[in-house]
Amino acid sequence: MKDKDIVKKNKVKGNIIRIERSSIHDGQGLRTVIFLKGCKLSCPWCSTPESQSFEFEKGYDQRLCTVCGQCVESCPENAISFFNDGLSVSTDKDKCVRCFRCFEVCQANAVKKYGFTVSVDDLMKEISKDEIFYFHSEGGITISGGEPLCQPVFCAALLEECKKVGIHTAMESSLHTSYSSFNKVLPWIDHLYADLKHMDNQMHALWVGESNHLILENLLRADQTDYSYRLTIRLPLIPGFNDTDLNLQATIDFCRKLKKIKEIELLPYHRLGSDTYRLLGLDYKCRELMPPSIDHLDERVAYMNSLSSGIPIKTGSGIT
Amino acid sequence: MPQIKQEKAGLNIDPAYMKRVTFLKRRVLNTRPEMDLENARLLTRGFREAEGEPLVVRKAKAFRKQCYEKTVKIWDEELIVGCSGSKIRAGILCADSCWSVLDEELDTISSRRYDPFNLKPEDRLAFEEEIRPYWKGRSNYEEWLAQIPDDTRTLRDNGVVYIDRKAVRGWGETTAGYEWLINEGLDGIIKTIEDRKSRLDITNSGDYEKDYYLKSLLIIADGMTRLAERYAEEAEQMASREGDERRKGELLEIAKTCRRVPVKPARTFREALQSLYFYQTMIFMEQNAASYNPGRMDQYLWPFYRKDLEAGHITSEQAQELLDCLWVKFSEPCLFQDAQTAEFAAGYPMFQNVCVGGVDDTGKNAVNDLSYMILQATMDVRLYQPSLSVRYSVSKNPNSFLRKVVELIRLGTGFPAFHNDDIGTTMLMNKGVPLKEAYNWNPCGCVETNLEGRMRQYTALADINLGSMVEFALLNGMNRKSGLTISVKTGEPTEFDSYDQFLDAVKKHLAYATRAVVAGSHIIDEIGLNRPVPALSLTFKECIDNAKDYAWGGAKYNVGNGIILIGVADLINSIAAVKYLVFDTGKITMKKLIEALDQDFKGFEDIRKLCLEAPKYGNDDPYADEIAGEVFTYIADEIERYKSKYGTMTPGILPVSGNTPFGLEVGALPSGRKAWQPLADGVSPSGGTDLNGPSAVIKSVAHIPHGRFVQGTLLNMKIEPAMLNSENGITQLMALLKSLCSLGIFHVQFNVIDQETLIKAQQDPDNYKGLLVRVAGYTAYFVELGKDVQDEIIGRTVQHGISLG
Repeated sequence: MKDKDIVKKNKVKGNIIRIERSSIHDGQGLRTVIFLKGCKLSCPWCSTPESQSFEFEKGYDQRLCTVCGQCVESCPENAISFFNDGLSVSTDKDKCVRCFRCFEVCQANAVKKYGFTVSVDDLMKEISKDEIFYFHSEGGITISGGEPLCQPVFCAALLEECKKVGIHTAMESSLHTSYSSFNKVLPWIDHLYADLKHMDNQMHALWVGESNHLILENLLRADQTDYSYRLTIRLPLIPGFNDTDLNLQATIDFCRKLKKIKEIELLPYHRLGSDTYRLLGLDYKCRELMPPSIDHLDERVAYMNSLSSGIPIKTGSGIT
Repeated sequence: MPQIKQEKAGLNIDPAYMKRVTFLKRRVLNTRPEMDLENARLLTRGFREAEGEPLVVRKAKAFRKQCYEKTVKIWDEELIVGCSGSKIRAGILCADSCWSVLDEELDTISSRRYDPFNLKPEDRLAFEEEIRPYWKGRSNYEEWLAQIPDDTRTLRDNGVVYIDRKAVRGWGETTAGYEWLINEGLDGIIKTIEDRKSRLDITNSGDYEKDYYLKSLLIIADGMTRLAERYAEEAEQMASREGDERRKGELLEIAKTCRRVPVKPARTFREALQSLYFYQTMIFMEQNAASYNPGRMDQYLWPFYRKDLEAGHITSEQAQELLDCLWVKFSEPCLFQDAQTAEFAAGYPMFQNVCVGGVDDTGKNAVNDLSYMILQATMDVRLYQPSLSVRYSVSKNPNSFLRKVVELIRLGTGFPAFHNDDIGTTMLMNKGVPLKEAYNWNPCGCVETNLEGRMRQYTALADINLGSMVEFALLNGMNRKSGLTISVKTGEPTEFDSYDQFLDAVKKHLAYATRAVVAGSHIIDEIGLNRPVPALSLTFKECIDNAKDYAWGGAKYNVGNGIILIGVADLINSIAAVKYLVFDTGKITMKKLIEALDQDFKGFEDIRKLCLEAPKYGNDDPYADEIAGEVFTYIADEIERYKSKYGTMTPGILPVSGNTPFGLEVGALPSGRKAWQPLADGVSPSGGTDLNGPSAVIKSVAHIPHGRFVQGTLLNMKIEPAMLNSENGITQLMALLKSLCSLGIFHVQFNVIDQETLIKAQQDPDNYKGLLVRVAGYTAYFVELGKDVQDEIIGRTVQHGISLG
């Protein structure tokens, strides 16, 4: 590496929701997780609904709102009005231009802003803050989302910067993207987490809105490359959707084809994201769905193990 | 590490000895603390009988009288015996130093809010008829009240400094030479004293004082010898009456042990433990004080345990039982102090700090089997004493040791206090101890530093309220609560043109308060000359060699007293908010800010929002953290400018519970903290302001120059069950601790956010506003979450069994 490369500023920008430091759930060690904004799938169980839209979004917590009226007054578009006999306020989404003036004036912390733009350079400053923790824990960064590969240039630039300074990299992706996008990040990835939500294409399309073809093809094609990333296939275990013998068997059968696979991880469905649906004013379609019991989870793991694929089956915390 | 403990942790089956330990432990928990005035009565009589002798001789004779005549009791099922007073759980009164403290509280001591002691009518009578009449006008506390300088008194009376602590309780804050006593016995020490005494010639000027001092040490040793004998006699008598053969055998073993130690050198692990505890009760009997620290028990007891084990004299289970029994003994005595001091350090805090781990005097790993067993004793017993500390050397101690430490953290008892070994060594060197000896440092009391049998100091002489310093700078030297101008005048803040002027004002108030405390400290040092402690000095080799008491500077290393800072985060955040809002961004004017503070933000909610959103310490934000580095370097410089007759004055940051009463004296602050609320504790961020997780907290805290705050720095961190309920979590907590050490932070202790806390927070959200939890990849205030999500988080804690820990 030439000296000028070290000092060259990386101005590539991306849109993210937040940075979570010292996470222990998204790869080895203590990790800084970057949640990117925007995803082309629409999984009804999604635990980070604020990551779905590519636009910055406004959240509103009625329980914290003191109905002081400052946001109503401050809105340049007159998009906010009193509502519900003056017990709360309401935003007309058609009028709102997302200037977030209301977010700035709110004193009760009732208005939230989801999304901001950041350069790779600034992000690296944040990431580097935890270098000592990466060192002792063998941790690093994880790009999550949303769907990171909707911003492939940004991801590739960020991952490259990390590798230059010896920081371990991981990415969580649905891989619902073009191979050319995927290929941009492959040289810089140490650990790839890829979701297989359902092996049946019709079910996949019905539930998450898109076909699974791109995902499966991407996995197979990348598997033929010389890149030495570690691959974990993740299966969000959604009761009644993808936890059938048939689907689990199909998942294992597919995974057997992948040379780079190290493990399959089951992430039990959870409802920790339900509060964010409330804040975004979105309908949480899984309201009635109960998380799988520990017994059910153990039994499903046992079933997958009984298929003797030789691939370790693990259960994740399901936090993300 | 002993295999049996591993299995125990895994299977959660209590070994047989836990039956006895549980019995002993319940007795402590079920006994209400009382006042115990037997010692004070005997001491008073002893002083009367020795009228005309030099003070230290009278003190020694009064001590000996206590040893000869005090009640000697051995309680059911005990294996390690000894008690400073006559009652199993009691506070004792040291009449010579502070009789008047009880005098002021005779009617309230039984029912006061912090640390009540039941005072029985017969004890009250003894006090009124015998103790008070003799000591009136003679205590150290009265001397202090007569001599305290005016400006120090004014700051004290307005809650800006707290400086009475040493006048109301005795020396403490020291680590006696336990190892020397255990290895040589009183007989060996007596021989050393006699050798030294024989080299004196009382016709030489100065030798007479030395002669009677050494004589007083011999009187002390005689008293101790007799007291141990009396315990042996009591055990023999009890054995002769005992019908149960098992207990009879135990009593005879106790008798045999007490016949041997502390008079003769200990030969076995059991004798070593008994010798240590005898001495512990005797130095506490001499002077009721917190923080007599047994220190590095895993080092000086290790040869005894290893020898016994190799010879087949003891099993690891038997050794564990003895340790556990000793642990219960440590929890029996209760520190007696006045109501206000109790408020600053609540919970009958004996602070007997035991420490494991670290390095030996060649600098190599010192962890041994006993280190693990001592951690296990705290896991078994789970009482408030001893204060268990770990010296962790990130480069030398093994991961298995760190893992055991994390297993103890998981139990949520708040133990151990985790110390970074390298910084502890640095602190000792900054106190003037060469590296070879500094390797042997031990944590003292709360998080202070010490060196066994060699170091004299008050580690925490006085506390300075840092919240008041900001208040003074914004009110031109006025105290908001009283309306009185009691600090230096630093100018009207509305006329400050720059941040530097404001910071300069804060520094001037810091300098003024430091000066007032130093003046008081010198007086306490002077008064302390009349408070000799020959029983303590007995195990300080240099006290014998110099024929000079610990109280007179006889120890090998004498250190200037400790000045403690309280309200670290409040100070940093307030300075950062003024810099950011008034000078750097101009979002508000100084005038407006002061108006808002005057009204405790009522009607100024917009200003408070800006204050709360200003950069905060604890988030790895250089804006706030650089202020921390600058201001705390200044404070250390300022304190180190002063010297006492014993050495350079020493700074430390350890609130115990003083951040709450100090908070009651401070109005609203630019940090956004409302009036009269508690200040932040130790070097921890203010509650609920650390939004970026544990690594960010650690990075911020690393900006304090820890090694310079030689009386220690205290960090409290909250930890979520997720960090502890899986193998991966345990591994990551280990990595977090290693990182903390690499960053040069001195200390941390953890509060586990358990299921009970979360349920309470759900029911009583107003009192848990700052409780942060992680939810699906983000950090949130628990009370702001919807009930379904709260329930799910509570459910997860249960599911993983953390609450059962």
